[in-house]
Amino acid sequence: MVKAIEKAGFPVVHICTVTPISMTVGANRIVPAVAIPHPLGDPNWDLEEERAIRRSLLKKAFHALTTEVEDQTIFED
Amino acid sequence: MKRLELGYVNIKDVQFADKSEVRDGVLYVNQEEIKAIVMEDETIKNVSFDIARPGESVRITPVKDVIEPRVKVEGPGGVFPGMLCKPETVGSGRTHVLRGCAVVTAGKIVGFQEGIIDMTGPGAKYTPFSKLNNFVMVIEPVDGLKQHEYEHAVRMAGFKVAAKLGELAKELTPDEVKVFETPNVKEGIEMYPNLPRVAYVQMLQSQGLLHDTYVYGVDAKRSLSSMIFPTETMDCAIVSGNCVSACDKNTTYHHQNNPVVADLFEQHGKTLNFVGVIITNENVYLADKQRSSDWAAKLAELLGVDGVIVSQEGFGNPDTDLIMNCVKIEKKGIKTTIITDEYAGQDGKSQSLADADPLATAVVTGGNANEVITLPKMDKVIGTLDYVDKIAGGHAGSLAADGTITAELQVITGATNELGFNCLSAR
Repeated sequence: MVKAIEKAGFPVVHICTVTPISMTVGANRIVPAVAIPHPLGDPNWDLEEERAIRRSLLKKAFHALTTEVEDQTIFED
Repeated sequence: MKRLELGYVNIKDVQFADKSEVRDGVLYVNQEEIKAIVMEDETIKNVSFDIARPGESVRITPVKDVIEPRVKVEGPGGVFPGMLCKPETVGSGRTHVLRGCAVVTAGKIVGFQEGIIDMTGPGAKYTPFSKLNNFVMVIEPVDGLKQHEYEHAVRMAGFKVAAKLGELAKELTPDEVKVFETPNVKEGIEMYPNLPRVAYVQMLQSQGLLHDTYVYGVDAKRSLSSMIFPTETMDCAIVSGNCVSACDKNTTYHHQNNPVVADLFEQHGKTLNFVGVIITNENVYLADKQRSSDWAAKLAELLGVDGVIVSQEGFGNPDTDLIMNCVKIEKKGIKTTIITDEYAGQDGKSQSLADADPLATAVVTGGNANEVITLPKMDKVIGTLDYVDKIAGGHAGSLAADGTITAELQVITGATNELGFNCLSAR
């Protein structure tokens, strides 16, 4: 899906936990997620803290989306 | 030197009887006695027993686990250490095995993540358990029991019954005795100075949410990669707590009879020196995957082996653990062969694994789990067909009105096993 949307001319950020698979399938902008069963949240924390985690991930994704990349890039920070 | 004798008592039939015993190769089981053991667990509402023999027109589903009855005869510890008895180190002395039979546990724990065993017809060819005399327990939970509590109840009931039946062979004279010896690292180098040194890296399913494996009672996802004598696995030190796709999950029976261990022992001292087993996990956090594969590679490096065989369990994101293990070990200058299976689509044309690397140059496959098969109606069903349409590998309409099942190979317990405990492969 990532590649098909990019082919249509839109930049795409792939938020995913297993970034090596994302690299293998050819995503260009990759943001590491929390864990496979809960990519955008973390049940170990309370709801307010989870909201902060989610917000931070989304901000990172927006940053990645607006960043020019030369090659496949994992946005760690 | 770690030395274990396995005494095989051949079982050619299982029958219900007034007295539980093994006589003339027949396992007689007193149902009431076994029921009392199962019902000790207050979370179990009811259990029903049945027997499924090779060649009978019987379908067992939803299958959770398959367990071989064993008993410790000499040496420290007991079978299922850390689960049924203290976590004392096993794998030495003598153990008796009821060969040719198994305890099969069934119940609708997750529904879509249990499997099918057919005792005859085309489906029987795909599962090794069609060749065993199976003592089947269908276990029903008390109302309102949570899934993970139900899984625990069924898992423990299986072990308790397998250990109880194993006890029946304690005093018997086995039909065959095999001896397995693992020298320590120093002894091994002195004994076989010219043979290549080979270790086995066994990946244990540990994704959580009922996808778990236990080592001496420890949940594998909470452990770093570690080492174990291969004979410890024969004494049931590693057990399944899995509810995942049936075709490539390792049941407890697979762990007890691990064919990679068996084949490495077969070649031990002849073509290679089987140094030991490294166990590692398949967790759902990327950091865990990185840490565990680093650790597996580090242990292989520390052992100074020439070659490693890596086996996987399950599919999807564990493909990444598999490739990480392979690549990191290769980069230590150690040759690897990986054993996996494939999800290459029903036509076999899709990418087989979710991850790949040019360093993965030697791959053994257990077959394509997406291959479609048709299983004719069986005269008898042990369990229920209610979940056939939902089982992983099945689809709405898998179960036809005439009782025929059309589904992917995934639905059959053990069909594409990644320890090679099956007949399927590809070249």
